[in-house]
Amino acid sequence: MTNAPAIQATHLTKKFKDVRALDDVNLSLEAGRIYGLLGRNGAGKTTLMSILTGQGFATDGSVKIFGHDPFEHDPTLARTCFIRESQKYPDDFKPWQAFKAASLFYENWDEDLAQDLVAAFKLPLKRRIKKLSRGQLSAVGVIIGLASRAEITFFDEPYLGLDAVARQIFYDRLVEDFAEFPRTIVLSSHLIDEVANLLEHVVVIDGGKIIVDEEADALRGAAVTVTGNAEAVTQFIGGYPVIHRDALGSLASISIRATLSEAERQQARQLGLELTPVSLQQLVVRSAMGAMGEGTSKQNVEAMK
Amino acid sequence: MNRIIQVARMQLINKWTFIGIPLLILGASFVFTMAIFWLVRQAGGQSEVTYSGGAQAPMWYFLALGIQSLTLTFPFSQAMSVSRRSFYLGTLALFGLCALLLSSFYYLMGLVEQATNGWWLNGRFFALEWVAENNWFIQIMFYFALMVLLFMIGFWVSTIYLRWRTTGLLVFFIGLGVLVLGTVFYMTLGERWGQFWSWAVTWTAGGVVLGAGAVAVLMAGASYLTLRRASA
Repeated sequence: MTNAPAIQATHLTKKFKDVRALDDVNLSLEAGRIYGLLGRNGAGKTTLMSILTGQGFATDGSVKIFGHDPFEHDPTLARTCFIRESQKYPDDFKPWQAFKAASLFYENWDEDLAQDLVAAFKLPLKRRIKKLSRGQLSAVGVIIGLASRAEITFFDEPYLGLDAVARQIFYDRLVEDFAEFPRTIVLSSHLIDEVANLLEHVVVIDGGKIIVDEEADALRGAAVTVTGNAEAVTQFIGGYPVIHRDALGSLASISIRATLSEAERQQARQLGLELTPVSLQQLVVRSAMGAMGEGTSKQNVEAMK
Repeated sequence: MNRIIQVARMQLINKWTFIGIPLLILGASFVFTMAIFWLVRQAGGQSEVTYSGGAQAPMWYFLALGIQSLTLTFPFSQAMSVSRRSFYLGTLALFGLCALLLSSFYYLMGLVEQATNGWWLNGRFFALEWVAENNWFIQIMFYFALMVLLFMIGFWVSTIYLRWRTTGLLVFFIGLGVLVLGTVFYMTLGERWGQFWSWAVTWTAGGVVLGAGAVAVLMAGASYLTLRRASA
């Protein structure tokens, strides 16, 4: 089973009383890459990750981690690390105690890296975790996630409460350490633009369904916004699928899903049209809205920001 | 197996929880009791043997420990990628070991107590006659079974909370209340209390060991089945 994907979910469904938190999710993620699990709050990101790590239960479907069901299977579980965004720690624990525990359980634990990160995040080691600020609490989770060097590491909105500098430290350290010790990283986030450059593959989940599952590079060049005279724009976009439409008087700005050829770019210039790439965040927002219908789009845009 | 020992070591990272606090409670309870015994003697009070129930003080802490070691540590153990089974076995094994050591300590202190004529005050703290008249094995098992029983009660109630949250606890305690009330009704209306008490006093320490042990084992089983499908 050496060729088994790192993570495989088949027809994964999770029903709570009246909602489908996950709805027939199929995923196959190969090892050694950085994945983005993107989506709005409540889209099902945490539910999915907790089932993938054997912490939660699926109503239906199956999960294989390196070809094995992780539920109650210590050897498989030991290859994964998932610190929740709302992770609970024993009441009387201080950060150093949490790290000591992690060093017991994660055989690849790197104490030097942990100490290094503690200094970088200015984390007080001897203050009770209960009394830490939200950002410091996130730092504890981030440090465990990075220093554990688990073969599959899930980061669940790891940056909550972290300031811009601390977030940058996290991103930098993640990339550095990943280069040295390649492993499978799943980064759940709704700050898409901030993490866009880290990601090699993007999975977008919305309303419990996977709506995007594509290479980040393919997504980056996958859409373009055409701005200019409304008639010229309409003429130019032809039959390409429209993902968003804005109009102001005779001006139009239309985003299309297309990878334009050099000839087409030339043509756009001749028509006096401006071409701007659509950011990953915009694309994800538009795709999420497309999946839900245009009706509630305004709220969605706000929510994703 | 390795994982189970790691869980036990994790529970011991904060030494106070499993070791420090029970010993502190026992020590304080012992000192207070001795002070009172001494005072009674000074005041020229009774000269016959004086009994104290102070030795049970740490046992009540185990009820809280059963709750704590689950509600606080289980969600964290999940983040440490430990299976529920390993968490359960490691935690129970550690508590079992602590309870066994403490029970043996009670027994040894009971011997000292008897040898020193009740700490030179003719008091009984560890060697309560009804227990101390048995052989060493039953004495140790008596304390052990009670400690484990209290721990398991706390542990099981917490698993119910973890799995079914407030609804589970409500159902559990309302059910328990109905059961207790029903029993009281049955005993009172049928005028069976006299029978009950004359039956209750026939219990020996050995009987208590068997009874409490059986209930503790049942609860341990129930806890595992409940925990297996609980999520943090």
